[in-house]
Amino acid sequence: MSAEEAEELLREVVGFLVTLVEACGAIVIAVGAVWAFIRFVLVAVRGGGARRFVPVRLTLGRFLALGLEFQLASDVLRTAVAPSFEELAKLAVVAAIRTALNYFLSKEIAEERRQVAEEREHAGHGDPPTATAVPERGR
Amino acid sequence: MNWPPGELPELLSLGLAGAALVAAAAVLLRTRRPALALGVGLDLLLAAGLLRLSADQTWRQLATAAAVVALRHLIGRGLRIGGAAWRGPRPAADGPRDTGR
Repeated sequence: MSAEEAEELLREVVGFLVTLVEACGAIVIAVGAVWAFIRFVLVAVRGGGARRFVPVRLTLGRFLALGLEFQLASDVLRTAVAPSFEELAKLAVVAAIRTALNYFLSKEIAEERRQVAEEREHAGHGDPPTATAVPERGR
Repeated sequence: MNWPPGELPELLSLGLAGAALVAAAAVLLRTRRPALALGVGLDLLLAAGLLRLSADQTWRQLATAAAVVALRHLIGRGLRIGGAAWRGPRPAADGPRDTGR
């Protein structure tokens, strides 16, 4: 097998893997978003206050973070073959956007989780959470 | 093999954008909290944007996605700052558990 043939084979294998991993990420994001939409509507119809939406948002955030991890993995795989400078530049921009999103998403999930834990702590102490103690952060 | 097949991600992201509007409206009607409704809508819009980013990328699409992400965080930060100012300073009697927020 010549070097050109080996490179071509590598490109095909990497291309297949990129497709597979990217599709996994897209499926995770789509499933999470559809599930969250259904839950949002159900909670809104059944009622129960603004706090009932927080667990749904947390789960949606986890789905999005997982999908982003898949997509970042596909970006890493793409760097195995460097086709052209323009494609590489686009890859860099997409990876930067996804990395920034992943960073902010994890921060938001941690913040929401902290709020939920604080609410539980208040409930455990028999101290009902107030607007001052557990504020809605405009989200 | 090319991902995505056909126009599937575009259709999905369009559907999700519509779902974001419906969910935000439902949350607004139920809770009367515009900030929460906006957060719910932006979360689903983010999912739509991520799906769109999986499709074939042009520089224009990339710039749009980056602008949406930046705008989302700008709006979120602005709402948090505005909300905190609206609530005013916290009473000292809350104790140390409620500080630092």
